[in-house]
Amino acid sequence: MRYLFVVTLLVQALFVTQSYAKAKPLELVVAEPYLEMRSGPGRGFPVFYVVGRGETLVVLFSRTDWYKVRAPRGQEGWARREELAKTLFASGEPAPIPPYPDFTNHRWELGAGYGVYNRQNLITAYTDLALTQSLDAEFVLQQALGTIDNRYVATIGLRHTFVPEWKWASPTVGLGTGYQTITDKIPPKPLETRNQLGYVSIGARGFITKRFMWRLDWRSYVIFTKQNANKEPEEWKFGLAVFY
Amino acid sequence: MEIRISSILLAALLLPGCSWFHRGDKGPKPVVAEEPQADPSIILPQVKRRAITTPKIKARDIELGAYFGALSIQDFGTNPVYGARVAYHVSEDIFFESFLGRSKGGQTSLEDVFPNITVVDKSGRRFTYYDLDLGYNVLPGEIFLGRGRAFNSALYMTVGMGAVKFAKKDQFSLNFGVGSRILITDWLALHMDVRDHVFETSLTGRTKNVHNIETTLGFTTFF
Repeated sequence: MRYLFVVTLLVQALFVTQSYAKAKPLELVVAEPYLEMRSGPGRGFPVFYVVGRGETLVVLFSRTDWYKVRAPRGQEGWARREELAKTLFASGEPAPIPPYPDFTNHRWELGAGYGVYNRQNLITAYTDLALTQSLDAEFVLQQALGTIDNRYVATIGLRHTFVPEWKWASPTVGLGTGYQTITDKIPPKPLETRNQLGYVSIGARGFITKRFMWRLDWRSYVIFTKQNANKEPEEWKFGLAVFY
Repeated sequence: MEIRISSILLAALLLPGCSWFHRGDKGPKPVVAEEPQADPSIILPQVKRRAITTPKIKARDIELGAYFGALSIQDFGTNPVYGARVAYHVSEDIFFESFLGRSKGGQTSLEDVFPNITVVDKSGRRFTYYDLDLGYNVLPGEIFLGRGRAFNSALYMTVGMGAVKFAKKDQFSLNFGVGSRILITDWLALHMDVRDHVFETSLTGRTKNVHNIETTLGFTTFF
């Protein structure tokens, strides 16, 4: 009985949120001579309906650069972002379609890539927060897979972009610290399985299109060990990322 | 008559009493507009700014789902595989995708012929993998079902890398895949995929690249 009560409550809550979500549809008025509606979210899909100037359409949701819209007579189709950005509110204000994030001023980056670390295949994933236009804080998680052992490397660091205005390629330098964990594949076991490390890096980054970018990095590590000498492996990697 | 009068009186007595209960701060206070003291010719507009909230457009670019199928582990037979997938659509062409899958290796032919030989012990036959892939929608289009139904679809190719854990060892793997996505509704998609996980191993004696091809069927929802 108690479960029934809880379930009923949950269902009710769901309906409340649903009705709340449905309560505020975004309505926009076509200001250009017409707005094309396609049957799918892509440039190749055919135009099957046209909304005329002055007509109101309802925006349902977006997928990449396309917006699902509903015409006044109920037809539903996909409108291109650039076209929808030219529509207006009933009050005459421009439609709330934000422009693409500016590459030189973007705030977040999320990417992954391939590299070679200590002559091992490296899988890398990272997130990057822009502190200023040229200074970034980066958080990297990587797995290096070799024949003798596997390593996990987690680092946190700062990176400086020399000329952030250079859109297609701009050099970077970085500095950071982190940890490395080794799991052995072939005996004998490594003397130390967990070490702190530091690194310096040089690299480059560049814009590809829309929200898409590339990144190249070379790193020189110092792994702090309890033995007589520290280890100094090198790493290079190439990644693709989206930015916000 | 007497009763009527007394009831009127009582009502008269009670009514102010009722209003007494309503006295205090509950009623709206009379608003007295303050007139500017300095210069009566300047009119100070007392307009409250209206907060306008524009409804946000929901972006449905993230795909989350599960799949089930058959994985052919080279030398270890074909076995059921299941997993989870997440994708992020960057543009109408490009998407990032990640898989997390699990299967179990069977008997090798050698073990079938010579039952005393064990290539990999039982607990090491667990086959798990993860992939980080880049996908491209090569052939977007529509699939027609009868006269009145059309589903958006796309044939896509993925390439990427990941790690496979088999025989208790993590190996770097390359992945190549081809798949078809059919959108049953705007938020629900059917996936049919063929993917190859290539990695280097020396389990059967000599070092070689093994191809582990999986065929899967799955569903995803768009968020």
